Amino acid sequence: MTEIDLDDLMENLAQCRRCGICRDAVYEDMGFDGICPVWKNTAGFETSFMRGKLMIAIALLEGRLEKTSDNTEALYACSLCGNCTEICAAEFDPKESLELVRAVLSDIPNEVRDTLAERILTTNNPYVTDKKGKRDWVAELGFEPPTKADTLYYFGCTAGMKLPETAKAAARLLKAAGIEFAVLEDEPCCGSVMIRTGRLQDAEENAKKVLESIQESGAKTVLVSCAGCLKTLRKDYPEKFNLSMPKIVHFVEYFLELVKSGKIKLKPLGKNVKITYHDPCHMGRELGIYEEPRDLLKAIPGVELVEMETNRRAAMCCGAGGGLRSYDPELSKKIAADRVREAEETGAEIIANACPFCEQNLESGAKLIDSSIRVADIVDLIVDLIE
Amino acid sequence: MDQRIVDELARIVGNEFVSTREDVLLTYSASASTGYESVQPGAVVKPGSTQEVADILKVANKYKIPVTPRSGGSSLQGEAIPKPDGLVVELLRLKDITVFEELRSVRVGAGITFGKLDKLLNQYDLWVPIYPESALVCTLAGNVAVNGAGPGSTAYGCIAEMVLGLEVVLPDGTIIQTGTEGNPNAPGPFLRYAFGPDLTGLFIGSLGSLGIITSVSVKTFKRVHHFHYETYGFETKQQAERFLIELKQNEIHALFVSIYEGKILDFFMDMLGEEYGIPKHEWPALTVSVTLGRVREDQLKSDIKLAKQICKQLEGHVIGIGELPKGEWDDRMRTFARSSYAHGWHWRILYHHQPPSNWHRSIEEIWAIMDKYHLLGHTAGFQSGHGSYNYYPHLYFDPQDKEEEMKVREAHKELAQRLFKTGAVPFKLAPYWIEDVEEMKDYLNLIKTLKRVIDPNNIMNPGIFGDM
Ligand code: SF4
Ligand code: SF4
Repeated sequence: MTEIDLDDLMENLAQCRRCGICRDAVYEDMGFDGICPVWKNTAGFETSFMRGKLMIAIALLEGRLEKTSDNTEALYACSLCGNCTEICAAEFDPKESLELVRAVLSDIPNEVRDTLAERILTTNNPYVTDKKGKRDWVAELGFEPPTKADTLYYFGCTAGMKLPETAKAAARLLKAAGIEFAVLEDEPCCGSVMIRTGRLQDAEENAKKVLESIQESGAKTVLVSCAGCLKTLRKDYPEKFNLSMPKIVHFVEYFLELVKSGKIKLKPLGKNVKITYHDPCHMGRELGIYEEPRDLLKAIPGVELVEMETNRRAAMCCGAGGGLRSYDPELSKKIAADRVREAEETGAEIIANACPFCEQNLESGAKLIDSSIRVADIVDLIVDLIE
Repeated sequence: MDQRIVDELARIVGNEFVSTREDVLLTYSASASTGYESVQPGAVVKPGSTQEVADILKVANKYKIPVTPRSGGSSLQGEAIPKPDGLVVELLRLKDITVFEELRSVRVGAGITFGKLDKLLNQYDLWVPIYPESALVCTLAGNVAVNGAGPGSTAYGCIAEMVLGLEVVLPDGTIIQTGTEGNPNAPGPFLRYAFGPDLTGLFIGSLGSLGIITSVSVKTFKRVHHFHYETYGFETKQQAERFLIELKQNEIHALFVSIYEGKILDFFMDMLGEEYGIPKHEWPALTVSVTLGRVREDQLKSDIKLAKQICKQLEGHVIGIGELPKGEWDDRMRTFARSSYAHGWHWRILYHHQPPSNWHRSIEEIWAIMDKYHLLGHTAGFQSGHGSYNYYPHLYFDPQDKEEEMKVREAHKELAQRLFKTGAVPFKLAPYWIEDVEEMKDYLNLIKTLKRVIDPNNIMNPGIFGDM
């Protein structure tokens, strides 16, 4: 287990000069139009954005603030979207530091965090208390992918259990492109939410289990359709747990290559279909994948790609991440609704995305404000377009 | 804070916008003023309108609760640190903006930051051409309350010069409007000096001690699109100082002008040189970094030519490295954050103005203090208007080293006293500037009298001017 160096963490937290830029900076030259979605969608006390969260973290760690669930609330009212990190000029990563603070303070009771972890550890998913249902979509495919192959489709809990159409679309896409792929029999959860909410030790145990399952499948390449799985497997496992992973590739990256090389050709989606793209935080700010999804969308004949006011590194978050959707579902949905409004302003018919977790929340947000905009995964958009 | 009072506040703003939670109070006990002791308030309230601010102040007055107005929380000299068990009134929900294109002005609520306003005005090809270097966090109202300055001030002066009128809630809840908007039939803000004495000026730089500024009306200007960035080298301080005066005398429209000593410039290069793409150079003893900006290109060409001539007449030379002023100008909305981050730790800052001809006196005193106390520090500044130069020396300390922090506080106080003797002036009143200064007694007495009349219960940011 990679130990958290507390001195190092305290030194990082002390880097915050309380400038407050991470609250709601509008910085046109750099594309920022507001920073913290939690500040924006709550009463907006200092505790809601990173400056205040860090003050609370320091006070808790120094023992100036009592370690109670109430006093840690602000630490969890955050989607870890990283927009604050993006604009912060200090030499530390505030979002990453907050994630570590959650881990250091993980002995303070938090029912939501612990319930999620217990479910993942016992049932391989954060959603339900039994193992049923995660792989049901496979039965509806009309073909049975093997459990061992060079390429593994690691579908993830949200696609498997909440948006099976996306999981099916991804599998069909692979088949249509003539790629032989496996799907695990009992796919463990990537454990992203455990890392984000501070159950690091359990997350590490879980990560080893995930790697073992992948190794058993014999996969050299792991394809994912979820931005959270992507960031967790590609970045967190090696960096936090020192695990040596096979190649982890997002569908968008993978299919863009196939389109570019001419291996697959796409039919028109329609005529002048206006689409805007929502950057998942885990894919954009975390991994710098901004252009691939846009290039893939632009490669679809008949698509006009329009940008939201905030995009790429300055994109506002959908509100689902960092455990927020479980911790404060109402707030999480409000943030999503805000993002949907931003998409509506572009005149787009579709908000395309590359993450079922974002998609699920954006759909909730659209429902909250009765928006008729269609929220769709890029995979869903292209599955029927392969010539 | 007494629950009855909190309930009264909640009736005004709604439960959602008042808090006495321990964690919330902790986060309002401090601001960006890292070199100041935190003080826990008793409650924080977030009004959504001027009327709510007025109702809140009536309650505070009734119970004689000390009130600290706050907006961006980015002030650096302790202005928004509350009083024990006091009330913080946070104004960020006041977000109205009205553009008066024909009047060449804009009116903004106390929650509007410079960054937000700049983006909006850009759509009209307009700007308010002064950018405090905390422009992404700092609100116009907050900046007016501390009478700030920033890039752009070289041509346009301090923020006070932009103000056409203020809406202020007095401690008893009375709402007053200064400037032309005092006349409800006026089409908007178009003249500050309306209706006799300049009451607007009374509140500028008042640090929330006389009332709460809820909205600010300021001048707008056509946005400048023609820029020229240049550095000019001089061997003596007097030459460099003279250059600044001559730029002004000749109506050369410099938006941002700074003098750098060679050693300071090396320090700056370490911080941001690479990022700004500044080439390596043997800098002269003094470098003047200049951003020229004009609405019309012909004007700009004439300014470039004349600036070069003046430089030569003063036996200086055109260095030809534009990346330094360009970097400063392009980064103008957040240099405040960056200049220190690239370096040390927490800091104390000592804003003050000198005439450009006295530029060297501040530098001498700043170096002397740093040597005496063995402190790490840094100073920067810029020409801040008609005949002034704004300095903001930083004294750094490690937040985990209490001894060093105390040393910085002592050094800070001594520096203020020494600078005062050189003829420097602060743009705010602070105890460390005027304590024990016999010649200022009558001035202070007048301020005390005004404060007593306007705020008899002394609820508004008490003590902010020191022990008056
Ligand atoms: S986290 Fe960064 S941007 Fe936010 S207050 Fe601290 S230093 Fe400023
Ligand atoms: S990570 Fe996102 S939600 Fe969390 S404090 Fe930063 S900007 Fe706000």
